[in-house]
Amino acid sequence: MIKVESLEKIYPGRKGQAAVKAVDRISFEVQEGELLGFLGPNGAGKTTTVKMLCGLIRPNSGRIFINGIDLIQRRIAALQEVSAVLEGNRNIYWRLTAQENLEFFAAIRGLKPSGISSDIDYYLELFNLTEKRNVEARKLSRGMQQKLAIAVALISQSKVVLLDEPTLGLDVQASYEIRQLLKGNVKEQGRTVILTTHDMNVVQDTCQRVIIVNEGRIAANDSVDNLMDLFKVKVYRINVQGGLTAEQREALLGMEEAVIEEETSARTSISVRLEESQVLYRVIGILESGQSLIESIDQEQNNFERVFLQILEGGPQGA
Amino acid sequence: MRKKLLLLQAFFKKEFILFRRYFHNSIGGMITLYIIFLLMVGGFQGMRALTGLGGDTLEGLVVGYVLWLFMLTTYQDVWYTLRSEAQEGTLEQLYMSAHGFGWVIGAKVAAGFFTNLIMVAVLLAAALLTTGVTVNLDLLSLLPLVIGTLLGSAGIGFAIGGITLVLKRIDSYTQMVQFLLIALVAAPAGRVVWMRFLPCSYGSALINRVMVGGQNLTQIGLGNVAALFLVGLGHLLAGYAVYKACERKAMIQGTLGHY
Repeated sequence: MIKVESLEKIYPGRKGQAAVKAVDRISFEVQEGELLGFLGPNGAGKTTTVKMLCGLIRPNSGRIFINGIDLIQRRIAALQEVSAVLEGNRNIYWRLTAQENLEFFAAIRGLKPSGISSDIDYYLELFNLTEKRNVEARKLSRGMQQKLAIAVALISQSKVVLLDEPTLGLDVQASYEIRQLLKGNVKEQGRTVILTTHDMNVVQDTCQRVIIVNEGRIAANDSVDNLMDLFKVKVYRINVQGGLTAEQREALLGMEEAVIEEETSARTSISVRLEESQVLYRVIGILESGQSLIESIDQEQNNFERVFLQILEGGPQGA
Repeated sequence: MRKKLLLLQAFFKKEFILFRRYFHNSIGGMITLYIIFLLMVGGFQGMRALTGLGGDTLEGLVVGYVLWLFMLTTYQDVWYTLRSEAQEGTLEQLYMSAHGFGWVIGAKVAAGFFTNLIMVAVLLAAALLTTGVTVNLDLLSLLPLVIGTLLGSAGIGFAIGGITLVLKRIDSYTQMVQFLLIALVAAPAGRVVWMRFLPCSYGSALINRVMVGGQNLTQIGLGNVAALFLVGLGHLLAGYAVYKACERKAMIQGTLGHY
């Protein structure tokens, strides 16, 4: 559905500043019905890439195909298949009601309001906005505005939906609701979605595959499950009563796999990365030698945030 | 074509909704413009001496003021739309329209034309009632002349809108355009031939001939009307070319939707 070939974007330098290479010859594909997470730290080139996919930023080189149509050569034809939420709750008219926004943007996309009245009802219902259909957008909560912006993107019936930080600034409940809506709608309507976010819970919860970009280049391109497996590291947290002796501290500091997370006179917490089984015995041996009383040994859950950070730090090779 | 009509209908509906929803604000704006007009009439002699606006008669002042208002609102429909949509975060959505942005802004200007027409008609009626002057309201003659004149102000709107896309936050400079429009309305294009090539000036002179001089389209001559449209289209295309060049630069800089 989306094919990107050697896409490059260099922002020209302004006021004597050097030019900035935001996207460095990246290539990737997104299949129909796929929900792809497009991740990276600030300034990695995520938004630039998404805006190039929307035809809003002109690349220096490379090609973009949407449903087989060359976006750079045939911009308007290619954009028939693309809708986007780029500025969160700012993508809607604040002085129009929820229903008026949906009608207006549907017409902008070439859809007759009378022909999509049932769709409008559907999306208002889906996004729990039915009761607010006649309320001006400026009077809605931020979460509702964000949901309305996504509904506006979905009402166009485009096959590709690009969502730039759709849950940014939302509370836990609103973020959860949007995640559920995305998962449900993508599954139900077979849309292709590219999602950029800093919220790793959103990625872990919704995305089938992720592309992680760093300094304009692709650092990883794999399914969430594969990346979780690849970076599967067991981490144990050992809590002991009281502090450590100088000998214990020195021995632990000499081990790469062990980190003293917290040390007070009442309690010490040590995390141990278990790359081989002997490591845990060695740590326990060190604690035993100083007659420290172990309170608990807990296994920590691996999560996508840790995977993401490890990829950005450059390991493991081949991600 | 059906899709283009949908687009036009969408902008008409939006204009109407916002006019109705913010009715008091709309009326307040018209009252302000009317007060400005009263002040101008009050200081007519001084204004005439200062700017030459409207020639020698009160009729000329009324026509000049109303035409200036129409030109100003048309210019603002283009420039202010680009600025406010960028500020509100909706410009990029309009750029992703299935119609292409040229059609989108065209529909916005067309919808705005009728809203502006109503406002100008109300203010003209109020101005005529207040001053007691009469003007020739030959609508069949006036309509093509007004449209030909407004092509120039739309062209200025595109050029300034394009520059705003690239430079951002230049409101204090763009405010000067309203004074430029006064100069263009007041330019004696009827007498000085080269001034006929200025945006809106020749149209202003021809409209004065109808409204103040009592002429009709036949007396003005098709050649003059054609010349008005040619010059107007030239200004519109020139303004649009500036806009497209600026749009291209904004897309290269990645600042299209920023404000």
